Amino acid sequence: MACEKEIWQKIGEGFVQEYYNQFDNTNRMGLGNLYSPDACLTWEGSPFQGREAITGKLVNLPFKRIKHIITEQDFQPTVDSCILIMVFGQLQVDDDPPMAFHQVFMLKSQNCAWACTNDVFRLGIHNIPV
Amino acid sequence: MVDQPLWEQIGSSFVQHYYQMFDSDRSQLGSIYIDASCLTWEGQQYQGKRAIVEKLASLPFQKIAHSITAQDHQPTPDSCILSMVVGQLKADEDPIMGFHQSFILKNINDAWVCTNDMFRLAIHNFG
Repeated sequence: MACEKEIWQKIGEGFVQEYYNQFDNTNRMGLGNLYSPDACLTWEGSPFQGREAITGKLVNLPFKRIKHIITEQDFQPTVDSCILIMVFGQLQVDDDPPMAFHQVFMLKSQNCAWACTNDVFRLGIHNIPV
Repeated sequence: MVDQPLWEQIGSSFVQHYYQMFDSDRSQLGSIYIDASCLTWEGQQYQGKRAIVEKLASLPFQKIAHSITAQDHQPTPDSCILSMVVGQLKADEDPIMGFHQSFILKNINDAWVCTNDMFRLAIHNFG
């Protein structure tokens, strides 16, 4: 069994670390640079198209403080040489109780750099039937 | 009334078909994967249709029911479809658990197949 991580795992881990570090520790204005110009974001079911719209959404999220803790992350190469990433964890916003979240990213190599072309985020809230 | 975009129609149709087959007869799932497909199941990697179906068919429960809480679909730059599903499942008499699954669908020879599949139970390790 190889001890070395596969390249897509290394690239994926690097992206995930950068993304959540910027998300939690900056004003989120720089997050747009992680996306391709035509990227799609679906945030809690609402679609945002393009780097500008995505940055606008993320920068204007209505909290003062946020912290993500990653429980699990998985990486796969795709047949079109992209990288698929699935992240599961918990987040805490301001003084609210922690909540589970699920996020999927797809990365594509464009102009010798890896950019996020697809991002889907959902809180882990279920409507439990009575 | 605005029609659903094509990727949403294909994605939601796939998702419905997948869980219906999963919950009734998992051995039929081979039809949706190809030899280049990858599955990551609770962190373990499986490559290719045969290995994937073997894993799914050998999962250790008699009954399973998935209930989808939310599903999102997006087109990708290579004309694939990315689908993310959040839901709950019940296996045999075990308590209900949250799960999270992502798929990439690709159109090959006029059929949509699943090239990438990632599944995780929604369990956190506390402390």
